Amino acid sequence: MAAATIFIIDDEPAVRDSLTMMLEQEGLNVIAYDNAPAFLAAYQEEILGCAIVDIRMPDMDGLTLQKEMLARDILLPIIFLTGHGDIPMSVTAMKAGAADFLTKPVSREKLMNTVRPALRESDKRLTKAACIEESLTLLNSLTEREREVMLLAIDGFSNKEIARRLDISHRTVEIHKSKIMHKTGAINLLDLAAIAREAGF
Amino acid sequence: MNASVDNLTALTIFDLFDVAADAMLLVNHQGKIVRANESAQQMFNYPENEITELTVEALIPESLRQQHQQNRTNYVSQPQKRSMGKGKNLSALTKDGRELPVDIGLTPINAKEEKFVLVTFHSTDKQILAEASLKESQARLQLAKQAAGLGVFDITLSEDIVYCDEHTRDVLGFDENKPITYQHFIQRLDTNSQDVWQLTLKQASESNENNEFRVELLVKNHQEGMQQWILVAGKIYTSGEENERVIGVLQDITEQKTLLKKLNMQRIDMEMLAKQQIAVHTASAIAHEINQPLTAISAYSEVALQALKTENIDWDRLNRSLTGSAAQAQRAGKSLHELMEFLHSGEVIRAAIDINEVINEAINITHESGYGGFRVNLDLEPNLPKVKANQKQLQKVMINLLRNGVEAANDAGIAIADLSVKVQTHAEASMAEVIVQDNGPGLSQEVAARIFEPFFTTKPHGIGMGLVITRSLVEANGGQLWLDTDSKEGATFHLTLPFYRD
Repeated sequence: MAAATIFIIDDEPAVRDSLTMMLEQEGLNVIAYDNAPAFLAAYQEEILGCAIVDIRMPDMDGLTLQKEMLARDILLPIIFLTGHGDIPMSVTAMKAGAADFLTKPVSREKLMNTVRPALRESDKRLTKAACIEESLTLLNSLTEREREVMLLAIDGFSNKEIARRLDISHRTVEIHKSKIMHKTGAINLLDLAAIAREAGF
Repeated sequence: MNASVDNLTALTIFDLFDVAADAMLLVNHQGKIVRANESAQQMFNYPENEITELTVEALIPESLRQQHQQNRTNYVSQPQKRSMGKGKNLSALTKDGRELPVDIGLTPINAKEEKFVLVTFHSTDKQILAEASLKESQARLQLAKQAAGLGVFDITLSEDIVYCDEHTRDVLGFDENKPITYQHFIQRLDTNSQDVWQLTLKQASESNENNEFRVELLVKNHQEGMQQWILVAGKIYTSGEENERVIGVLQDITEQKTLLKKLNMQRIDMEMLAKQQIAVHTASAIAHEINQPLTAISAYSEVALQALKTENIDWDRLNRSLTGSAAQAQRAGKSLHELMEFLHSGEVIRAAIDINEVINEAINITHESGYGGFRVNLDLEPNLPKVKANQKQLQKVMINLLRNGVEAANDAGIAIADLSVKVQTHAEASMAEVIVQDNGPGLSQEVAARIFEPFFTTKPHGIGMGLVITRSLVEANGGQLWLDTDSKEGATFHLTLPFYRD
């Protein structure tokens, strides 16, 4: 796994400082923020990592940050830091897709047992995002008419039917299809359907 | 025409005549009494067969008889209705020779062949009227008694006779018509209530005012598991030193009692809930203050350990983490200190307080809040110097100690707790001391040793904060609260408070 970055968002300096050192000892990059808006402003490009977020913070609390990250399609998995009385909040966080939560104080063992799966999840999300990105690029190279033909083809219509529907000749459909397969690099119709699904068609 | 009117028309004049409350006579034109209703027979004291043998003049005092005969002849020639209430101070003669002041009404009645006069008498005798009015007011009293669910009793102690009306017999479970002695009466009360009754009578007869009393008593169980409470109010009549007679009313208040008890239980539950909430909030506040530094200390320590484990000791991290750890531990201590200060703050005004007054108030409040089943033996010092305390806090302290005592006795199966509250002064130390003792079973050594610990409780639903709070309130007022471990019977608490100085 490439070097991952852990973002710590906690208003408590000593907690940030001590957790930062602990994670650095594990060979991880750590960037710490004392508030959620500062993190949101700084986070631009998706990278491998996860966010460790205190659930209780002034200004913007952990749950609000989570909502904001979902709204911005930020892929970074979130691990929440919670106190003893925060069980209802933790439940809300988990339902909204948090990777995990840790109850303060946190041992190194527990921290790493939570961070490692979160990083694997991050890797998975990035890979998947890359696939989508690639599929989108491929499909974007298609002309408008080629895209129409492709959609009908993966819906299972025959060349004859496609020709009738688009009011073009049978031969033209065949030419479009061959161009589609060439541009997307799809081996067959099934592969093409997979690429289209990936891209969200 | 409906059925009831049918029935009415079937009535004859005689039916009405016979049942009328006023005395009525039917007299023919010769003056002979043809018919007399029952009221008339009673009024004139003649049986029916005798009165119908008479002429009306037999019912006229002798001095007026001749005159009356004349009047009657005149009337017959020109009969007309003469209403009652025409004054004239008339009187009628009874068989036994009494002259009754009466008002008389005359109504001519024309039958087919013969003419009659209906004579109506209405007594104007003051005594008779008074008797009638007494009867009426007795009937009204009876109604009121029934409506209020009151029973009446009258105990003549000197002759050992107890009169009980029907309701009282009912409530106390006495058979109808069997004579009741005072002993019988007393034995109907629960053992504890017998004492309360005796004490109440004693206090009432010794009080200089009007010897009246009012007391709630428990009736001995008729049925297993059923408690019946009565409220008894009355007055004692004494002759010299002796109690001679006790007259009173009683009322079954079991339902009210049950309701009150239920309400009281609910109130206790609510208070418990509130206390628990306070405990939870306080604990949360403490947890929050402590958890942050603990989190840092825990992480710093692990960083330090890890820094030592590497081949080349990571001095920089070791130094930083240990420094951070120490700072966080100190911060935690400081936070706690500040928190405790905050919890103890709030405007507490300590003024010159009459401790006797506060004790009496606390007893009243405790009684009113449903802790009714206790008696207090007060031993107050009359000319006590004022103490310096917060009125509300001191009141709370006293209420807590009283409740504690009552609960201890109740839990031990003593229905009516006996508490003793004693106040004494320690002039040399400028302190007042209050001693509260109950008649419960007292505390075992183990319990006594832990009684002031937070969250220590012997009650099934207690949270063990009562005495902790009580003690901290006493201490906040510059006093001390402790348990007398040498106490022979019941639990004995002592508290001290400083005298007020200008």
